[in-house]
Amino acid sequence: MNRPLRVAHLFPELLNLYADRGNLAVLRARAVVRGIDLEVVPIRLGEPLNLAELDMVLLGGGSDKEQMQVASMLPQYQSDLHYAVEAGMPMLAVCGGYQLLGDYYETLGGDLVKGLRLVEMYTKAEPGTRLVGNIAIECSSIPGVVRQTVVGFENHQGRTYHPYLPLGKVLSGYGNNGRDGLEGLHHLGVIGTYIHGPLLPKNPHLADYLLTKARAFRGVQEPLVELDDTLEWRAHEHVLQMLGISKTTPAETSQPSESLA
Amino acid sequence: MSFRALLAVWMSKFVTIGLKIMGRGATSLPGVIAQRVYLLLPDRLLRQIDTCVIVTGTNGKTTTTELLYAMLHSDDEPWLVNRGGANLIQGILATLLQKTNWRGRLTVKRVLLEVDEATMRLVLPSIRPQVLVLTNVLRDQLDRYGEIDQTIMLLRNAAWGADTTLVTNADDPLCVAISSINQKPVFFGYAPMESTDETSVVDLVSGNQVRDGAFCEKCGALLSYERYFYGQMGIYACPECSFKRPELSFAGRVLDAGTAASQLCVNEYAATQDWRPSEDREFLVPNPLKGLYNAYNLLAATSAARTLGVSPSRIAEASKRFIQPLGRMQVFPGHPERILSLIKNPTGADSVLSTVAQDAREKMVCFVINDNFADGRDVSWLWDVDLEVFVENSPSTRYVCAGTRAADMALRLAYAGVDRLDIKIVDDTEALLLVGNEEALPVYVLSTYTALHPLVSLLTHAQPKEFRGKAVSAS
Repeated sequence: MNRPLRVAHLFPELLNLYADRGNLAVLRARAVVRGIDLEVVPIRLGEPLNLAELDMVLLGGGSDKEQMQVASMLPQYQSDLHYAVEAGMPMLAVCGGYQLLGDYYETLGGDLVKGLRLVEMYTKAEPGTRLVGNIAIECSSIPGVVRQTVVGFENHQGRTYHPYLPLGKVLSGYGNNGRDGLEGLHHLGVIGTYIHGPLLPKNPHLADYLLTKARAFRGVQEPLVELDDTLEWRAHEHVLQMLGISKTTPAETSQPSESLA
Repeated sequence: MSFRALLAVWMSKFVTIGLKIMGRGATSLPGVIAQRVYLLLPDRLLRQIDTCVIVTGTNGKTTTTELLYAMLHSDDEPWLVNRGGANLIQGILATLLQKTNWRGRLTVKRVLLEVDEATMRLVLPSIRPQVLVLTNVLRDQLDRYGEIDQTIMLLRNAAWGADTTLVTNADDPLCVAISSINQKPVFFGYAPMESTDETSVVDLVSGNQVRDGAFCEKCGALLSYERYFYGQMGIYACPECSFKRPELSFAGRVLDAGTAASQLCVNEYAATQDWRPSEDREFLVPNPLKGLYNAYNLLAATSAARTLGVSPSRIAEASKRFIQPLGRMQVFPGHPERILSLIKNPTGADSVLSTVAQDAREKMVCFVINDNFADGRDVSWLWDVDLEVFVENSPSTRYVCAGTRAADMALRLAYAGVDRLDIKIVDDTEALLLVGNEEALPVYVLSTYTALHPLVSLLTHAQPKEFRGKAVSAS
């Protein structure tokens, strides 16, 4: 068991649209500073996935064309990844990668692009505006984190629907489909989300959650040492501020006003 | 011209006069107001142009446009141009209005326009350019255009049409993919010498950088590169099909890079399919700019000017007199010396940083990162910049972050390996000048678009009197 913690980065040559390398840099740096050896294993499209050697999987976003190219090769990975999910391996899927987790993606023209079918979920490109902008969610699905908010940027035409727990409730922005006020997906070890920016730098609690999960998957249960995240939270707070969300929870802010005009 | 259009023209003229009285310079406000009055005004004015040249692409538009303007414009043959990167429809309209008389007639018939990729869609129904210059296609501001495939589609539309000559970059596979729709593409490209004592290839970069065009646009196979220049630019071929870097009409290489005597050596090949020079010509153009990315801009402008029939001697003369646009490695002499440069996407930022790294002095680097619409709302591109390489090669550099996204930039630097104690965040841009710098270290200020013009005036006013006016400025 004396090998480094290994994160598979799936198809980096195609799915690298929204600075996913930022997510990897953050995972690596936050592991190394705690004396945990972490190795990123790039898996190019077509190369085999050696599950026994892995502790976490990261699936990023690509443009439509690249996503279709990936989709055509997905069947060979399906059973392996399905097994990994059931076994509780943590997996982070962002933007296009998130869409690929589901049954299919329906394009504007009505074509179906088949996904990994790891979860029962579908995405539809619906006519109307692209869902673009800064986003903040209240993340209730992750126990024991220091903060409840997750912030970042979203940019997608597809609207996603699924019956699982979301990653969080939208405080500002669009989320999965701009309708039901929910963002992302959290099922077993899988976190799917439209939030990039990249996701992990400004959300260190999420980064540490994933690291903890990956270690637990390896059988290491020690909690992680706390880090000085002043800069991280400053950037995080800044997005909340831009979106007009106060630091306090909604319950605390809804006090009745005393001024009677 | 309809009465409403005339009214719109008059409104803009009154606003311009009003702004002048108030001591405000040229802005896009007259254009904005005129279009409020008459939405179709840009169309009515664009249709009056006789000769139109458009410069578009991701990076290098403003510098290429300024260079080409210097080569084309003369008192006998006046050209109108939109300057300072005002490349959205309001900026273009404001430019045209400057040369529109009270009767609504455009008084200059030759127009050179820098047009933002997404704005092409609004310009093309009104006018097809005689020459379209496409500098490069890189990942930029994806939130504005959707994704890069969409940009390619927009540009293909622009390059279509029998009357348009496309002048574009052979070293960029995405430009070449777009060019297939054009009937008479003219290709320029970089031509390093084969010899090993090659000094002209300035930056052959690390394999880390984002390369958008690394796949064959025809068959999807991974392109194989014989040489990389920067970004996805290089000498490439598809191992699966016939797609490869096309033959060049204009091949350029930089002599004496980085020195005052630097020149671009251009080999021009007669418009044949033959690589071998038939009626070829070689000429030298003074290269007033730093960096390989700027050599591409000079080569693009030179190729376009030659395509339009400008003589090599006039091109050389224009380049010699050329004054760099604001905020492109613009030096503000003083104590300390400050150097301002625009950064707006990963490839551009990488090029600027590699030029900064060539300055071996101990220095301060300030990042001013805004996320207004014109900057791109999404700042995730900061994570695609190769800061790790820069940080590693530039020890004992101090960093300052400002702008609406200062905190994001600071975080990016921290994860690139900068000690958190060496990163300072300041609340507003003015405070950049107050950061302790007793040793008067040179200060590089790298800024996104909307902070650039305020910084030019800020840095100019910060100069001691004896240095004023010595800054390179395009007025």
